[in-house]
Amino acid sequence: MHKLVFSVLMIVIWWMLHALQVDEELALGSVHEGKRAVDRAAHAAAQQADRAKLEMGIVSIDAPAAETAAAEYLRYNLRLDADGMPLPDSFWRERAEVRLFRVINENNEFPYTYRNEQYDYEVTLNRPGVVLIVHLVYPRLFGVLSPVAWDLKGSAELVYP
Amino acid sequence: MKQLLVFVLFAGLFCWLMFSPVYKHVLVIRQALLQQEADYLLEIGASGRYGYIDAGMQADSRARLAQHGFDPSRLEYEVGSTTGAEADNPALPLPRGVGLKLVIRYPYDNLLTIDRLIGLEPPGPEQRMAAGGMKMSEYAP
Repeated sequence: MHKLVFSVLMIVIWWMLHALQVDEELALGSVHEGKRAVDRAAHAAAQQADRAKLEMGIVSIDAPAAETAAAEYLRYNLRLDADGMPLPDSFWRERAEVRLFRVINENNEFPYTYRNEQYDYEVTLNRPGVVLIVHLVYPRLFGVLSPVAWDLKGSAELVYP
Repeated sequence: MKQLLVFVLFAGLFCWLMFSPVYKHVLVIRQALLQQEADYLLEIGASGRYGYIDAGMQADSRARLAQHGFDPSRLEYEVGSTTGAEADNPALPLPRGVGLKLVIRYPYDNLLTIDRLIGLEPPGPEQRMAAGGMKMSEYAP
């Protein structure tokens, strides 16, 4: 009898450990996926050069166009709908929240160091650029893992020859 | 005799319990490798030098993935753009502002077939694991 009890106990423990490990592995994969999506969104936003100012020889980012591009690329790469809610085929379950979107334009002196105490983020830009912070919640598969959420930070500069 | 039977049964059960989820790691690793390859292709393809992902780059990518044990003939590449323009033509690179889309697909093989034992239906033969993304092209003529 005691062997039966012992085996049931071991089965429960092993499965919990397996579940924990699979969930941790997936979480690690998804934090990278989220970071890539944020980086690509920031990159797309930073490429929105203001044409009117460019004709005058000023390299500057068109802020409204940048925000639209960032939202579009974030939506595509994370499979979200217009409100930031995940689509039915998306891996994510909770809303991806854009916590911060900042365009650093030609009115600053470069190299410019952007600092954010709240999110503990610091980046130095040599050209006009964009800083983007998105809050993502990991969709846990099993209850074994404690809840995980990230503030993913990305930045990009306007690329020009 | 009964003792022996119980021992064999328990030994089998424990071995299966310990090792069956290990197969999931093959899946996790393959997915990660596909995603890494997709990121690399997008990074290169969307850079200011190229603005496209052509057949040659796809062939190189197949060769790289084959080193990790993928079957190159079963890898499927899907390249597209946000404007609908073809994104695999070196003569017509995507200009800055146009998004380059890439999806790499690979079959699951029989990796999850063992799950039938605990009542989970494995994905069908037509289903694929996929990795991809969209990145804005930096190419300026």
